[in-house]
Amino acid sequence: MANVLEVKPDLAQAQCAEVGASKFCPGCGHGTILKTLAQVIDELNLNERAVFGCDIGCSLLSWNYMNIDTVQTHHGRTTPVIYGVTRANPGTVGIAYMGDGGGLAIGSQHLVNASVRGENMLILLANNTNYGMTGGQMSPTTMPGQVTETTPYGRDCSITGKPAKGAEMIAAIADPEKSYVARSTMGNVRGLKKVLKAALENVANGGFSFVEVLSVCPNNWRTNNIKTLERLKEMEEFFEVKEFITPAKKEEV
Amino acid sequence: MTMTKEDIKYTGIKVENVAKGKADWYLFNKLCKSCYLCVAKCPVKCLHPIEEPNKDNSELGLFETPVVKPDLEKCIGCGTCQMTCPDCAIKVQRK
Ligand SMILES: Cc1ncc(C[n+]2csc(CCOP(=O)(O)OP(=O)(O)O)c2C)c(N)n1
Ligand code: SF4
Ligand SMILES: [Mg+2]
Repeated sequence: MANVLEVKPDLAQAQCAEVGASKFCPGCGHGTILKTLAQVIDELNLNERAVFGCDIGCSLLSWNYMNIDTVQTHHGRTTPVIYGVTRANPGTVGIAYMGDGGGLAIGSQHLVNASVRGENMLILLANNTNYGMTGGQMSPTTMPGQVTETTPYGRDCSITGKPAKGAEMIAAIADPEKSYVARSTMGNVRGLKKVLKAALENVANGGFSFVEVLSVCPNNWRTNNIKTLERLKEMEEFFEVKEFITPAKKEEV
Repeated sequence: MTMTKEDIKYTGIKVENVAKGKADWYLFNKLCKSCYLCVAKCPVKCLHPIEEPNKDNSELGLFETPVVKPDLEKCIGCGTCQMTCPDCAIKVQRK
């Protein structure tokens, strides 16, 4: 018999313990992002106020991950579902969780309009530079030269155009009065936690937050632990990791 | 009746007194998927996949692949592995 340990894992209150291990592949970035999100929800004491929505894509595998009210939506429609919830129930802290495909391809219309209107919600986008769930096809954020199922010779930007930069785009159109827009990375968990905290605080105070997190998909990238982290480093160079709009910076102006 | 976090039993391995007795290191084997991101991230490179896992299953992870274990002498108890693990399979408890 295997040893029963006298301690429990450090799971946040906002994380479901009874479902056991998460449904993501080994090393998947969704796990790191959601575990950090759950810790921040605990720290800000938003467990009763938060509503979590997950998109289609591997983010849907989090339908039983959070120990808070959760809704699973259609592909790209998590944004409207969640702001529907927060509009009908003022005071709720809505969190729309999606991949780069869900946010920047099929759901981009909602992303654009929600940011322009400054809906009271957090849009959390995990950018793993491919369509993870369907087998790793090219997505809007696939990097130049990156090999995917549908770009077997590497993404050729002279044919496909340049990769989409979500956080820059939202920073350009979001209402600077009440928005928090940032790009973070799962390569720096402490930094990610700080960003998520600022984002959720802004939502709890009635604002709109958009956070893009650079994530990994070792399964479709076909990378081992070392190569996965190397690729993440390349992404951090290509996609600028920074806060684009913050409530604090707004006060300085 | 729903289970509470306290009702759930976790099996795994314990490495006592790492970092000159400053911490205990735990791994919950049914949460570990052997992604080995912790191995790559450990600042002193003291984590390694177990080469010949125990027959009692405590050294095999969720997918029956070898889990990791730190080198007792080298581990500094910094908690980087716990922070890195996407699946909360590691706990470094400082004493
Ligand atoms: C309306 C609709 N179109 C297409 C699909 C097929 N589909 C399922 S997941 C997915 C891509 C998801 O990619 P992404 O949002 O980046 O999430 P990831 O899996 O990478 O986390 C697609 C295109 C679908 N389920 N529904
Ligand atoms: S396919 Fe990629 S994004 Fe989906 S769970 Fe696996 S590693 Fe994560
Ligand atoms: Mg994706």
